[in-house]
Amino acid sequence: MFEVMMYDGGVYRSEELFEAIEDVGGVVLQKTRSSQLLSVTMSIPGEDKEYLSKVCKDVGGEVKNVPLAGTEIAVVGCTLGRHHMPHPICDIAEEIREYGGISVVMGLARGRGKATSQISAKERAIIEEYDAAVFMLGNFKHCVEHKKHLFDEIGVPVILVCGPEPEGLEDDCEAIVAGVGRKAERMRSSDERKKLEQIGDTIDSVIRARRKMLEEDPLFVHPAELKQLLENYEPIDMSLRPAPIVLHLDGLRVKIPYNEHKEYFDNLEVYGRKLTDIARITESKINDSSTIIRIKTKSEVEDEDRRKKA
Amino acid sequence: MNIDVSGSDAYACDAYGHLFETIMNDVGKAILIDKAKIVLQPEVPLFIFSVRLVNEPTNKVISDAASIRQDGMDTHLSISDEKYAPEILSQLWRKYSRDRVEQQTRFDLIVYGGKEEEIQDLQISSGEEAKKEIIGALWRAMPEGIKNRHNISEGNVITIVATEEIMTPEQKAQGMEVHKSMGVDD
Repeated sequence: MFEVMMYDGGVYRSEELFEAIEDVGGVVLQKTRSSQLLSVTMSIPGEDKEYLSKVCKDVGGEVKNVPLAGTEIAVVGCTLGRHHMPHPICDIAEEIREYGGISVVMGLARGRGKATSQISAKERAIIEEYDAAVFMLGNFKHCVEHKKHLFDEIGVPVILVCGPEPEGLEDDCEAIVAGVGRKAERMRSSDERKKLEQIGDTIDSVIRARRKMLEEDPLFVHPAELKQLLENYEPIDMSLRPAPIVLHLDGLRVKIPYNEHKEYFDNLEVYGRKLTDIARITESKINDSSTIIRIKTKSEVEDEDRRKKA
Repeated sequence: MNIDVSGSDAYACDAYGHLFETIMNDVGKAILIDKAKIVLQPEVPLFIFSVRLVNEPTNKVISDAASIRQDGMDTHLSISDEKYAPEILSQLWRKYSRDRVEQQTRFDLIVYGGKEEEIQDLQISSGEEAKKEIIGALWRAMPEGIKNRHNISEGNVITIVATEEIMTPEQKAQGMEVHKSMGVDD
């Protein structure tokens, strides 16, 4: 099983680290250099973690655990109104970033109220582009239980965060963290920081389970390998957006429009095959400035090969 | 501020007591509130937020927030309540123009050619506006989705009854009962 960790240190002797990553068959997910400081997020085989930790220390850096690296997670609130935003949604989003994930904050258009709350098909489709969604509901047990229709049909794992402990929602979401309801101030007290850590650990365990499930039928190519290929494409290389390529558990979000670069995506060669043969490529539901690539599993590709031959 | 929260959901009662206090402090209205009563019935849903103010908001003029002294052709002002300083300046600038109003220190002003009797009656705050701000603060503390709201304002007590769909006469009567229990000053 591949594990993700982060090197945090200087640029000096970093070449040795990159060679070691290559030697064990790992990949660099993200490399950020600021003057003489360097942080490298890498995905490496679990059995080589100890060896690479030693290399990191030998070259003068330190190793940080970033269990959510390589994931993009949505934190969803009922609305973007001041009753639901920014606390504690932004605190949760910040915690996800501390765990190494990329977080996106989203508010539903008509998520407020008990009897009148709704989620549209488009909102659901947007949330399904992410690896997991954290749904933040409020302080009333009755309302929380009543609003399960907002998330029970979402196709990605949902972590419900709310005030009171709800009953009967265990089958409608992946995990529930109670004790964080509507707040009018930042979560700064030690109890609240502990609660945020609990949310981070819960998301981590949900993502781990999803990773394990993917390993049972592995992807045709690891998203990080595909990222290395895409990075060489000039429009992506020249993109000024903060993270032009975002890794997902089963693919990538590439922040260039699919319609304009369709020919490149369709004809990109990966292990002797066209990208369209090994992945589903669609434009993002948010807007047309991003492309979503979902990599097919090995068995899916083999099955399609068999069908073509028959 | 004395806050009394009652309702069927113990977690929500605790949370809303704290939330109400934090929001009122944030918007600077906590100091105006003597006591508050909150009724939470999310299963209906029905929410009643009632506050009794320390004083009934009234119109304020410059002489309520500053001492005024005529000196020859000019008038000297010394602001005693800093909260109203921006509005005092704004009113004086509007009436006499910026050239004729000199701010010597944070609290001391001279109005060249200004008459004491004119200046002392300039309005710097309206009671209606203050009530509107308190109602806005109460709406901010209430749950967002509960949009059907009925306001009752009488003397120094303001009550808001809110539900999600149709408001029944019984719900309004329940709101009025809470309103009366706050003790309206005549």
